[in-house]
Amino acid sequence: MLKEMTLGKYCDTKSPLHRTDPRIKTIMYIVYLVALFMVKSPAAIIAAAAVTFIQLAVAKIPFRVIRSTLMPILPLAAFIFILNIFSIRDGEVLFTWHRIIVTNEGLHKAILMAVRIILLILSTSVLLTLTTTPLKTADALESLFSPLKIIKVPVHEMAMMMSIALRFIPTLSEETDKIMKAQVSRGADYDTGTVINRIKGYITVLIPLFVSSFKHAEELAVAMDARCYRGDVGRTKLNPLKITGKDILAALLLASGVALILVFEFVRL
Amino acid sequence: MIIYEISQNFYQRSVYTDLCSFYNESMENKGKTTDYAVHIDSVSFSYRSDDGSGTEMLKPALDGVSIDIPNGSYVAVLGPNGSGKSTLAKIIDLLEIPDEGTVVVLGINSKDEENFWDIRENCSYVFQNPDNQIVGTIVEEDVAFGPENLGVPNPELRERVDQALQYVGLTAYAKREAAHLSGGQKQKLAIAGALAMKPKLLILDESTAMLDPVSRDEFLSIVEKMHKEQGITVVTITHDMTEASRCEYAYIVEKGHVTMQGKPHELFADSEKIRRSGLELPVYAELTSELMRFQRLKVTASDLCDQNTAAGRAADAAAARISCKSSELESEHVKKSSSEKVILSVKDLSYSYGDSKKEKTIENINLDVREGEILAITGHSGCGKTTLISHLNGLIRPQNGTVEVHTSDDEILITSHPKEIKRIRQNVGVVFQYPEYQLFAETVYQDIEYGLKQMGIEEDKRKDMILTAVRSVGLDESLLDNSPFELSGGQKRRVAMAGVLVMKPRILVLDEPASGLDPKGRKEMFSLIGKLKENGTTIILVSHNMDEAACYADRICYMKSGKLLCIDTPEAVFDSNGNTDIPRPLLHDFSMKVRSEICKKLGGMIDFGPVRRNAREEAKNILREVILYREDHHA
Repeated sequence: MLKEMTLGKYCDTKSPLHRTDPRIKTIMYIVYLVALFMVKSPAAIIAAAAVTFIQLAVAKIPFRVIRSTLMPILPLAAFIFILNIFSIRDGEVLFTWHRIIVTNEGLHKAILMAVRIILLILSTSVLLTLTTTPLKTADALESLFSPLKIIKVPVHEMAMMMSIALRFIPTLSEETDKIMKAQVSRGADYDTGTVINRIKGYITVLIPLFVSSFKHAEELAVAMDARCYRGDVGRTKLNPLKITGKDILAALLLASGVALILVFEFVRL
Repeated sequence: MIIYEISQNFYQRSVYTDLCSFYNESMENKGKTTDYAVHIDSVSFSYRSDDGSGTEMLKPALDGVSIDIPNGSYVAVLGPNGSGKSTLAKIIDLLEIPDEGTVVVLGINSKDEENFWDIRENCSYVFQNPDNQIVGTIVEEDVAFGPENLGVPNPELRERVDQALQYVGLTAYAKREAAHLSGGQKQKLAIAGALAMKPKLLILDESTAMLDPVSRDEFLSIVEKMHKEQGITVVTITHDMTEASRCEYAYIVEKGHVTMQGKPHELFADSEKIRRSGLELPVYAELTSELMRFQRLKVTASDLCDQNTAAGRAADAAAARISCKSSELESEHVKKSSSEKVILSVKDLSYSYGDSKKEKTIENINLDVREGEILAITGHSGCGKTTLISHLNGLIRPQNGTVEVHTSDDEILITSHPKEIKRIRQNVGVVFQYPEYQLFAETVYQDIEYGLKQMGIEEDKRKDMILTAVRSVGLDESLLDNSPFELSGGQKRRVAMAGVLVMKPRILVLDEPASGLDPKGRKEMFSLIGKLKENGTTIILVSHNMDEAACYADRICYMKSGKLLCIDTPEAVFDSNGNTDIPRPLLHDFSMKVRSEICKKLGGMIDFGPVRRNAREEAKNILREVILYREDHHA
């Protein structure tokens, strides 16, 4: 089950987007996110989708990965779509059936919201998780937030915590799988029965998982100690972040993508 | 001839004592603490734990331990689980600070806190669980973690990482995700991470305990290469005696004390004491000492100094005049399961994960399990053993082929029928590897009860069933109200097994039931399995340890890259004319050496028949055949 999850999984295709400095990707991601929530016109939404797909193409993400990234989010998108379409009653009425009224405004809003959430997930994946290793993301955040160190914010520690959390996702998902198999062998049933019973059933997975997480944490702390970890004092980096000409070019290209979306939104031709 | 032998023995012994005194002298010359990589003097250490009511409890782990490890040596610290040997390793690396005593590592006294990092920077530590020591997500980032902490600048850092990866043979994996490596590769990665720190001292804390024999051998070869080429002092903490026999010197730790020390073969000569400390002899030493024991000869350290010498001495002993009674040589009666009745059958089973149908995880498996037998499924990690057993109780539905389970009233259940799954799981109990990691309930009782509840068995019947299960795994009933998380590792495993046994399965599948246990624990586990068999349970045992499979199983099957290469009795599978692709047990390999030495000595061909299941039986077998050969020759 958890193995299907690609959100947060790095997909190495060695594209130019993979090599771009993670700080640039992070900043551009935020800019892109803001743009995405500003747009309302259909033309701009199409432009945003086009820009996202160009990014996916540049990153050479295989279709299989895109599909498995989107799959878990489709129910949410559908839910948002339905919620919007039935709750918004402004505008022209397109269709009525008993007490259900669908208006053009509602339809427009519903499509906008659903597409937005899909684009949101896709852009998170393509700019961050799929093309940037978690450690690099952590590096980028550490570097971007480093001014906060002056006011004693433990930026380095937070970045380290984040990268370790990400590092353990595959390990814990593998463990979950093993525990579930064992409990199913003892007659556990996670797929049928009432919702409450199913949630109760998951206790048999969650408790062993918690116990082993604590064990992991404890042993990892000792192992890090043994490898002379002592915070960021005097620490060097194998792959230090460096902005090159290529990174600036990538930043300009990504910015022009955002500009394109905004042009379609605000400049009515 | 006897006189010659004795004199030869004398001669060798005196040479040997010379060697010993030489070693001792050289140790004495190194008497200055700076020549020792590690100098530990009367160190004591206790763990502090809270008993819940706020009062602090002290659990002593080490009590007045003194050891000296010379620079550039390769030393083993041996001991059963819970003996304090890992604590000792942690003290060397200053991961724990002793309550009392002196610790001098690489000439630096650990008392001065400013020296703390000087010691740790020069010691590298490889732990048991590969997953709990990988910090970096990507392989090369993990290797770099240590030197990054030391502040090694680029480009030296890059160079160190690349060299370390090349040294352990993981260069091709540099950019891969560390979590997706195999267990053996993960431990090699840990070694690379240690190597990149350029340590003077390498500590291995049961680093090979979770590896299969092939990965273990590769791992140790890398370590030994580092030791030889770079002069790194290696301290290995283990309870694997075959591993210990590769070292130069060994300490045995028991209940927080050093009880024995010496070169490995010196320790092996005193088999009684080794066994009393909860350990056992490596296979070669065991067969040699069994043979010599039957011949009323005393095993000396020089007899065991390496495998070839030992084979020669064992052959000497066997070829000498037989001095034991023939009644002693009668082979132990092994009750063979005579039933030919099939209880579970796997037909043409194939399975592949993911979308690709090309690469099959298991392919065309055909397997009949007979009622009341112990069937061992052997093979290296990744050969498809776990996939196969996941089919047996319908955790995985077959893509091709069928799995049939025969019930007590001769009904045939098929795992591809969803309606029959529940009954199949009652019939086929599966205990996965490290089952103790699946405990969840508040009390032992509730945890064991879980399966019964799920199966819908009435509450008043449950108690008796639980008590029977608890007794059958040899657990104390008084533990039933305890939390399972308070128990020791071995007890937890028993609780988890009881949780499966409580459903009274007719077939019990055990995936590596002895992994992580020390020699004594392993023996207990196998005697438990033997008892379950006597009570009529059919057992399918998954193992990568050929010696144990050969010793305890009625039949063995061997899997390689998803295919079943053979299934037969151990005698037939390991027959010298048989398939040579199948790895032989260590006992088998060593016994072959002894046998050919005997033939040389007696100047004739002796047919010893198949190698017996354990060292004692094989020793008897060899002596019996020698007697027969002598009788034939004189006649």
